[in-house]
Amino acid sequence: MRHRLGQAGRAVLGAGLIVLAILPLLPAVSNATLFTLTLMLTSVGVAVNWNLTGGFTGYVDFGHAVWFGIGAYTTAILMSLQSNGPQIGWAPIPAIGLGALVAGVLAAAIGRITMRLKGPYFSIAMLGTFVAMREIVRVSGGLTGGGVGLTLPPYLNRPLFYYIQLVLVAALVTFTWWLRRTRFGSALVAIREDEIGAEMRGINTTRFKVTVFSLAGLSTGLFGGLWAYQNTFVDPDIAFVEVRTIDAVMGTMLGGLGTVAGPVVGTVALYWLREVLWANLLEYHLIVQGGLLIVIVLFIPRGLVGLVDRRGTSVATLWERWLRRRPAPEEKRDKP
Amino acid sequence: MTALLEARGVVKRFGGLTAVDQVDLSVGTGEMVGLIGPNGSGKTTLFDCLSRVLDIDAGSIGFNGADITRYRPHHVARLGMSRTFQLIRVYPELTVSENLELSIQWERMGMRGLFSRTDAATLRKVDSLLEFLQLARLRDERAGTLSGGQRRLLEIGMALMSEPKLVLLDEATSGVNPTLVADIADRLLEVNRNDGVAFLLVEHNVQFVADLCERVVVLNHGAKLAEGTPQQIMRDPAVIEAYFGAKAEGAT
Repeated sequence: MRHRLGQAGRAVLGAGLIVLAILPLLPAVSNATLFTLTLMLTSVGVAVNWNLTGGFTGYVDFGHAVWFGIGAYTTAILMSLQSNGPQIGWAPIPAIGLGALVAGVLAAAIGRITMRLKGPYFSIAMLGTFVAMREIVRVSGGLTGGGVGLTLPPYLNRPLFYYIQLVLVAALVTFTWWLRRTRFGSALVAIREDEIGAEMRGINTTRFKVTVFSLAGLSTGLFGGLWAYQNTFVDPDIAFVEVRTIDAVMGTMLGGLGTVAGPVVGTVALYWLREVLWANLLEYHLIVQGGLLIVIVLFIPRGLVGLVDRRGTSVATLWERWLRRRPAPEEKRDKP
Repeated sequence: MTALLEARGVVKRFGGLTAVDQVDLSVGTGEMVGLIGPNGSGKTTLFDCLSRVLDIDAGSIGFNGADITRYRPHHVARLGMSRTFQLIRVYPELTVSENLELSIQWERMGMRGLFSRTDAATLRKVDSLLEFLQLARLRDERAGTLSGGQRRLLEIGMALMSEPKLVLLDEATSGVNPTLVADIADRLLEVNRNDGVAFLLVEHNVQFVADLCERVVVLNHGAKLAEGTPQQIMRDPAVIEAYFGAKAEGAT
């Protein structure tokens, strides 16, 4: 079901964007804070991309961070090229652009194979792809620097990186919102709901799945390239890190799987939750974080966005339903 | 009458079990054919083979002039075959209207159509079908919240939405109240007469089949047992024995 943005929603969105736009201009906001916010925006971008396959299409990808690593490494390799000493590396924009393209093309090639698998088989195949790619990068020392990694020419302009990521995330969310409203977006949801039915109704499911998987790979590759440039250093263990996928899954689940706003709201909430718990419950913060997430998944299966959807589901009604163990309306599928 | 669908010697095995055994079946343009048989006789498996949801082990299937034996389901759908399922397949999280919007003929849609919202002509068609199926008041409800009978009607609407040449209906009256069954029969006849759409019906409701179909095929243990008019079939001792497990009165 398409969620329509009401007047209040548009006002909140507009106000939020204004606040985010003026943040770097405030004296109280340090470069360290901007760096953290930029990393959060990167995580939001990855989660939005993960949601295209995991949320809209129903293919839960446990290896999505592989595209981030490929984008990061392609950018790093191109920017740190050397010829007998002097650096002849590419400029950042073409290097990051090609990094995204390589990630997108590889996603198309690998997706044609892995997206024939269903459910946990697909998830595990993608996890395997992720681990294998990290090891390929580690053993290809001549090109990738191996376990030692690669250093990129530094350019430490935190506000610029912040604004670039903000614009990219805003554009990506707008694109996702638009895509969901097209027939292409509806076809993705149809595949998630009933792939055989969708195929029988004329939808070439393989083409749709591989297209969206490639788009997600390309976009995550772009965020990977930007991250590498901003970080000025890559090695296999920081470019290919499982937590990036786990954060995307958790953020999307928390915000609302298969919704446009879910990955944004969920990832921001996850970052905020971590900061609060880290500051107040240092020793127990991971336990509390895990417990809270279980509670949220149990009580708000549609995520935070589901709390304000147009059907008027609220925490109170969910709590009441839990106490009375009454099925949700959508579960009453066989009423006489 | 030219054959729109022509299956020859179709065999489908699951391990040691032969679910469909050397079945020949044809449906002419604009014809209404019934496919009946006791539980486990292979009707739904044959439907899955004809609509290419399942690969067949032997035989051939032709549809609308093409050999579709190795086609994928979406190719078959684009040639003009649509179907419903024994266990209803609608998109539960989408609205009733969205379910119909997604059941259009995708073949005719270019890139521009793919990346745009549903056009006015499709929406008009959705509204007209919803009126036809008496589901108009549920237009914006999630399909998952409908009753079994309503979902059955919606699925029939989805099958009709793509302007098919042939519709395979798998137990279209199952779970539907008797008043509505008569309505469904009237509507199917209307579509058949006005638009020339052919139907192949799997049904347990033999009266429903007899009212609608000119020809009935009976399956038993995966093989074709009999074929003829509804009247011939209802008098056929082999059919009666297959259904009731005893030799018919007067049969030798």
